[in-house]
Amino acid sequence: MKRILPPLIPMLLAIAISEIAVRQAWIASYLVPTPSAVLMAMIDSRVELWQAFLKTSSGALLGFALSTTLGVAIAVLLSSSRRIQRAFYPYAVFFQTVPIIAIAPLLVIWFGYGMKTVIASAFVVSIFPVIANTLTGILSTDPALRDMFRLYGASKRTTLFKLSLPAALPQILTGLRVASGLAVIGAIVGEFIGGEGLGSVVDVARTQQRVDKVFAAVLLASILGLALFGLINLISNHTLRRWHASEQA
Amino acid sequence: MRPNKRSLGYHQGNMQRRAFLATLPAISFLTSCSSTSKLRLALNWKPDPQFGGFYGAPYKEHKLDVEILPGGAGTPTVQMIGAGSAEFGIVSADELVVARSRGNDVVALFAVFQDTPQGIMVHEERGLMAIEEVFEEGTVALQKGLPYARLLEKQFKFDQVKIVPSPGGDITAFLNDPLFAQQCFVMSEPLQARHKGAKVTVFPVADTGYNPYTTVLATSGTFLKNNAGVVEQMVAAVREGWRAYLDNPKPTNDKMQALNPSMDAATFAEVAEAQKPFIENEDTQGMGLGSMTRERWQKLIDQLHGLGDIPEAIPPDDCFRKI
Repeated sequence: MKRILPPLIPMLLAIAISEIAVRQAWIASYLVPTPSAVLMAMIDSRVELWQAFLKTSSGALLGFALSTTLGVAIAVLLSSSRRIQRAFYPYAVFFQTVPIIAIAPLLVIWFGYGMKTVIASAFVVSIFPVIANTLTGILSTDPALRDMFRLYGASKRTTLFKLSLPAALPQILTGLRVASGLAVIGAIVGEFIGGEGLGSVVDVARTQQRVDKVFAAVLLASILGLALFGLINLISNHTLRRWHASEQA
Repeated sequence: MRPNKRSLGYHQGNMQRRAFLATLPAISFLTSCSSTSKLRLALNWKPDPQFGGFYGAPYKEHKLDVEILPGGAGTPTVQMIGAGSAEFGIVSADELVVARSRGNDVVALFAVFQDTPQGIMVHEERGLMAIEEVFEEGTVALQKGLPYARLLEKQFKFDQVKIVPSPGGDITAFLNDPLFAQQCFVMSEPLQARHKGAKVTVFPVADTGYNPYTTVLATSGTFLKNNAGVVEQMVAAVREGWRAYLDNPKPTNDKMQALNPSMDAATFAEVAEAQKPFIENEDTQGMGLGSMTRERWQKLIDQLHGLGDIPEAIPPDDCFRKI
């Protein structure tokens, strides 16, 4: 209860205030819907929203999985030599600065309408935090431990899997936390252009001036982001609680 | 218009708070009547020939200070008018009817396009003869939320084609796929496609019987009530602007092209010429540019009601004002 109550109070307050403000006509209902109208929209359109939620979840999850795998692999590669790092790291930074909304139409041309574009969009916006954090983690491995591995004649592979990656785990997980939210945003942007999913629901509802339905779809997208974040936290807790201060508090 | 903080500051030093508050409605009234207050006109796209008359209107001669706010894809002009973030805006008639049915008191003043310039363009090589054939094969890019998209779905079913989101004015996908059809402004995307060497057939949406006024100047009911004189001057200026633009678009095109260099001068001239029949027809020759009829509004309301876009039919006379 101690953990649930603090975030619950502001949420309930915000719901109550917006419900009263719209009902009293302080704010026009065509600009901000009442929370009850959003709930009604969720119930009325539950089949459509649920199917859209599943589509967006698949797109975001696949894009996120791709970012995680490739992001960690690229970071390992970059960490192997200063020269490689200098040559390729700027391109990793480039991914971070890509204005996804501007290149999304191009993704449609490259990958066609549908899921591939959504996955690509989720991937492009979420890979950089994984690369950057994993790289920092690997490069911050305790030099004394590195020396010890060398003294014992450990192979590069053993050093990577037994020392560098486990030591970088807290940073990797931080990168994944940031990437999880970005993957959902990327998926929604991809859906604006590529069709289907919650992005498409938002687009259609906006055209129809259905702010209640827009909010319902946005709420589901946020829930998806929160669920992914929660999953990473769970993994973090499970893997770090025995040895890392961040999970021992 | 609402008084801003600076204009109120002068009074605060000399008056008791209560007395000052009592004067607020009067100040508000006076400022709202002022003909030199800045009026914002929100567009739903970049400066291009569909807004020619708005850019060419002699606002100063009508003692109006108008700031034109260019928009982009999805600029919610109808909500901006309702929220008061723009005194005037460009909307389409169907958008306005839906907005009114949701409690957003927006009123149409001047309809530029008497016939909707919306259409579906396809590659000429397909040899399609009627709009229903568009929905028998391939991919169709449509903004699914638009009423006419659902009307088309109702009439022709969409089970044999893949419906994808409209790419706005982008025609790359169209050029790359011979079975790709897309919604368009009949005097915009088809011209672009022809410039790129494609042969294009266009099926106007109006031919299906759905024909809302488009590029409609609108304001809020409240602003209209409190500023009837200003609104009257605005409509007069806009009407003169459109007359001048139809007679000689060049000076205004040059002005708009400076603001939107992505469209070349030749295209500006070509589009301005191509849109003329949509703006000036027998109706406008009798009643004046931008005029609207109750019958047209009623028909649109019935169609939107039939589609389920509005829960109940609304009075057509509230939707527009004859000025």
